[in-house]
Amino acid sequence: MESHFKSRGRKGTDIFWVISSLSILGLIICGLQILAVRSFMRDGRQSRGTENETEFHPPISILKPLHGLDDHLYGNLESFCLQDYPEYEILCCFEDHNDPAYRVAQNIKNKFPKRSISLIVEGKDAGLNPKVNRLIPGYQRAQYPYLLVSDSNVMVTPDYLKQIIRPMQDPHTGLVTNLIRGVGAKTIGSLFENLHLNSFILGNVCFLKKFFNIPCVIGKSMLLRRDDLESIGGFEAFKDLLAEDHFIGERIRKRGQKVILSSSMVNNVNEYWGLNKFWNRHLRWGKIRWKVMGYKYIFEVMINPVFLSFFSFIVEGPSSRVLMLIASVGFIKGAGDYYIGKKIDARLHPLGYLLSPIKDLLIGLIWFLSIANDTVVWRGRRFLIKENTVLSPCPKKGIWAWRYRVMDWTRSKLAW
Amino acid sequence: MLLCDFHIHTSYSDGSVELRKTIDLFGQAGFDVIAITDHVVSRETTYGKLANRFRFSIQEDNFDAYLEHISEEGKRAWDRYEMLVLPGVEITKNSFSSNQSAHVLLIDIKTFISASWDFEKIFLEAKKQNALIVACHPHHSSELTVVDTLYLWNHRKKYARYIDAWEIANRDDVFNVISLKKYPYIAGSDFHKVRHLYSWKTMLNCEKEIEAIKRCIRYNRGVAITLFRNGVPF
Repeated sequence: MESHFKSRGRKGTDIFWVISSLSILGLIICGLQILAVRSFMRDGRQSRGTENETEFHPPISILKPLHGLDDHLYGNLESFCLQDYPEYEILCCFEDHNDPAYRVAQNIKNKFPKRSISLIVEGKDAGLNPKVNRLIPGYQRAQYPYLLVSDSNVMVTPDYLKQIIRPMQDPHTGLVTNLIRGVGAKTIGSLFENLHLNSFILGNVCFLKKFFNIPCVIGKSMLLRRDDLESIGGFEAFKDLLAEDHFIGERIRKRGQKVILSSSMVNNVNEYWGLNKFWNRHLRWGKIRWKVMGYKYIFEVMINPVFLSFFSFIVEGPSSRVLMLIASVGFIKGAGDYYIGKKIDARLHPLGYLLSPIKDLLIGLIWFLSIANDTVVWRGRRFLIKENTVLSPCPKKGIWAWRYRVMDWTRSKLAW
Repeated sequence: MLLCDFHIHTSYSDGSVELRKTIDLFGQAGFDVIAITDHVVSRETTYGKLANRFRFSIQEDNFDAYLEHISEEGKRAWDRYEMLVLPGVEITKNSFSSNQSAHVLLIDIKTFISASWDFEKIFLEAKKQNALIVACHPHHSSELTVVDTLYLWNHRKKYARYIDAWEIANRDDVFNVISLKKYPYIAGSDFHKVRHLYSWKTMLNCEKEIEAIKRCIRYNRGVAITLFRNGVPF
């Protein structure tokens, strides 16, 4: 009996040290992410400081797919009307007139009568991706050779268009995208969202660019030439893909063109999110990464040292060294997130970073669930996600169809 | 049509959102007209005394500052969102009995009106100030945590002549008795928390101007109600 406990204790100790080593490795990767963010911010400042004002200001068509009332929608749309740029048009695309965002866009149009703002209402059902369905009518009506896809929850500074167009002077540039910074949190759900955007998402995008020269395309803000988009099949070619932005970038790169990360950041305003919205969005994004990256997605858990350290609690229970490990890792990770927040001017209260480890634990659960489930709920509809994020409707008949009905029923009961 | 909400509370009484943030929230969502109607609680009952003690009520000593703040924010709302902000209060007479409780909105008031006065005096003073008088949540509500406010409905024969409109819908509830009696109506959110933005609202077919709005409600022509949702399915 004694030898049994001894061997169990030794096994637990071994696993504890394995988990500790992995957590430390995770913290080292987070440290590298911080270096990458710092380097990006410094390069951005330098490039903005040294580059002279260019005369390259071709007209741009801004495509805004709108649906529902995003936080700060009025202010977000207004920021696009206040651009210091000679010629551009804004095409707000809706599925129907009854969308409450239509009213907000109409108010903006009335407020800026001199701006070229079009409200396009077309219930296009080209594919299963609702965002692409809205982009297609806007794309068909766009007048200018440069197309900028911009999400409704994005707020920009007046020099945004001048900054994003700069890399397009190089004819080898095919697509320009921006880093996003989460701002404006007033609820716990928004706080988690902004903490995650400003640490995990931002850190990873900078890390991949800096150390592996892999540019990630962020669909919230991407500029490309109309000719290039047409040569890869237009938006129609991406109508059934969940990760349309990623695959647009991939196809542009396969054509031998560069995908550039602009030196400026755009704000993603998240003010009044509930926890369910945060959960749903990152479950969807997790599934996208799982379907795009395949088995490599498993290693993503390495970038979450807080979640890793928590495994020691499961293995060994609440011993003093376990609690010490979790607290130390949580503190270091929170401090790292705070540092990035300061660097990017995230304007988040320092006490908010105390919740960073809790957010990381939730993200750990999401990481696991993303692998376990192959459906996604987007804008109220459930889809099956297949290889390369191809969407398909969930079957209504067949032996397994009942499980989708159970999931929908549960979701409706929880109002998620 | 003007999208309106005439029943909004802020942190001046028991709302959880500050006035400035409330204005931004409604402005960003594309509203045309809102009324800020924080509670003025009667001191006659224990509940009222506690509400006044813990500042969950507008009081005579901070009423002018309250109006001034609304006016300041109203100017900002007009410049930024072209949204009209009306000052108001909700006269709150609460009792342990539903039959003795009543809430009344006084919209566009100019000087303080005490909730401890009797209703006749309150209504006459409000009329003198040309304020709009709205009886709110006048019938049984679906919320289990709130005491119904039935006094005005039970005494409608006496008071209906003073009342410019009745709330036919409040937040998630609809009071069909108002429709059956053919009383003038509006709908409001009884906004206390951010999620209450998505609730019943009033639509008015008139100019975005205070007298036109009051006329529209009093004559009850060009008034509609709508259940305002954010457009994204659950």
